[in-house]
Amino acid sequence: MFAVFRTLLIGQFRDAHTLFWTILLPFALLIGLGLYFDEPGYAERLLAGVVAVNILFGPGMVTPFQVMTLRNRGVFKLLRAASLPTSAFIAASALARTALSLVVGACLVAASAVGFGVKPTIPGLALMLFALLLGSVCFTAVGFITGNLARNGSDTSMISNLVCLPMLFASEAFYSLEHAPQWVKIASLLHPFSHFVDLLSAAVHGSRQADTWASAAALAGFTAVCLAVAAATFRWDQEGVRFRFLVKD
Amino acid sequence: MANQPVLIRAASLVKRYGRRTVVDGISLSVNAGEVLAVIGPNGAGKSTTLDLILRLRTPDEGTVEYAESHLRRRIGVQLQSTPLFPGFTALENMRLAAAFHRLRLRDAELLRRLAACGLADEAKTDAARLSGGQQKRLAIAMALVHDPKLLFLDEPTAALDPRARREVRELIGSLAEGGTSVVFTSHEMEEVHRLADRIVFIGAGRILAEGTPESLLDAYHAPDLEQLYLRLTAG
Repeated sequence: MFAVFRTLLIGQFRDAHTLFWTILLPFALLIGLGLYFDEPGYAERLLAGVVAVNILFGPGMVTPFQVMTLRNRGVFKLLRAASLPTSAFIAASALARTALSLVVGACLVAASAVGFGVKPTIPGLALMLFALLLGSVCFTAVGFITGNLARNGSDTSMISNLVCLPMLFASEAFYSLEHAPQWVKIASLLHPFSHFVDLLSAAVHGSRQADTWASAAALAGFTAVCLAVAAATFRWDQEGVRFRFLVKD
Repeated sequence: MANQPVLIRAASLVKRYGRRTVVDGISLSVNAGEVLAVIGPNGAGKSTTLDLILRLRTPDEGTVEYAESHLRRRIGVQLQSTPLFPGFTALENMRLAAAFHRLRLRDAELLRRLAACGLADEAKTDAARLSGGQQKRLAIAMALVHDPKLLFLDEPTAALDPRARREVRELIGSLAEGGTSVVFTSHEMEEVHRLADRIVFIGAGRILAEGTPESLLDAYHAPDLEQLYLRLTAG
């Protein structure tokens, strides 16, 4: 499994999608929005939001393409004829992506500290690490669900946008929902990304402990559900795709 | 070849997808040391039959028995889609293949195996940039990484130019001479005639004919396998 993890980790740095969505875009957002919105307190919100978006776009949006490609190429099928359990390969792949996300997250924290003076506390950093690990698992599972449902690149793009973009807009990643319509506030409670952002915000500039535990519990609950759905929808190859009525044949 | 021990015996296999019966009562065996060609038109059930034999799918009816309990771990599989991991070098593809079989092979050993498939100079090349023939040979090298007793090749020469096709055919021939059992699918009848010890024709989920190339040509009074193929699949 370590050999798989190491090879896939190195391979990520050659993947254009990973480079753009997981490395370039988060730094562009951090620097661009940080310089443009020069308001007190916004830098903290921005750091939490960009780190969260890094996870959403990485595990959440790049993973589906990898899953779909691996399935369509027959890699999962090949694993059935091999000794390595498919779950081990998937875990190694997810770990490789998580490792990259953690490194990028650390660099974002460092850049935010240097560029905008944001300095989380040690407990805050520990909470951020916990949030990143849990969030990575959650959105990797979301990515697998998307990849499991999609049949090709177009489907993958459409479904991942349909899943991830509403979560992004119905969250406080980059703006407050204080003045948003009630239905948007309710919707923000019904998906994992909002709780992930809340947890990261608590890590960056602290919040009430009760709120932090509530966000962690909600994110953990969503993670469990997403893992179960990802496992239930997993298919070895195209013939095994379930929920065909959702996907054009 | 008829006296060689049976490695895999499949009996009365049936597989349905919804209302469609893709494999309809196929029984066949794979013998040690032979080269078996499984041929038939697209959609005939060849790939599904092989998937059932490899236990990659579960049949709705019928059984698949392996002569040895460890045989499953001694089977190498080359799929049609190549390369398996684009964006990774040929050597990295081999590392992944070795990891799939839980083998800790040094790069020197992996390079030796690449060289055996004529890819010594391409170890550091992105697999997606290899030629079609090289990608097929890489896929075969990956299927051979754990020294399998039995090799399954899914259309190993599909979409290859004549030179690349010959290179792959020679590789398959050398494997067979070395004692590896080979099962392959192909639409190239000349290739089938050259390589196969035994042929199984599949059409509409059933076996239409089975035997050595010569015995089939004799039984059906066909001048070559292409004519035989056209005759069997005309209905």
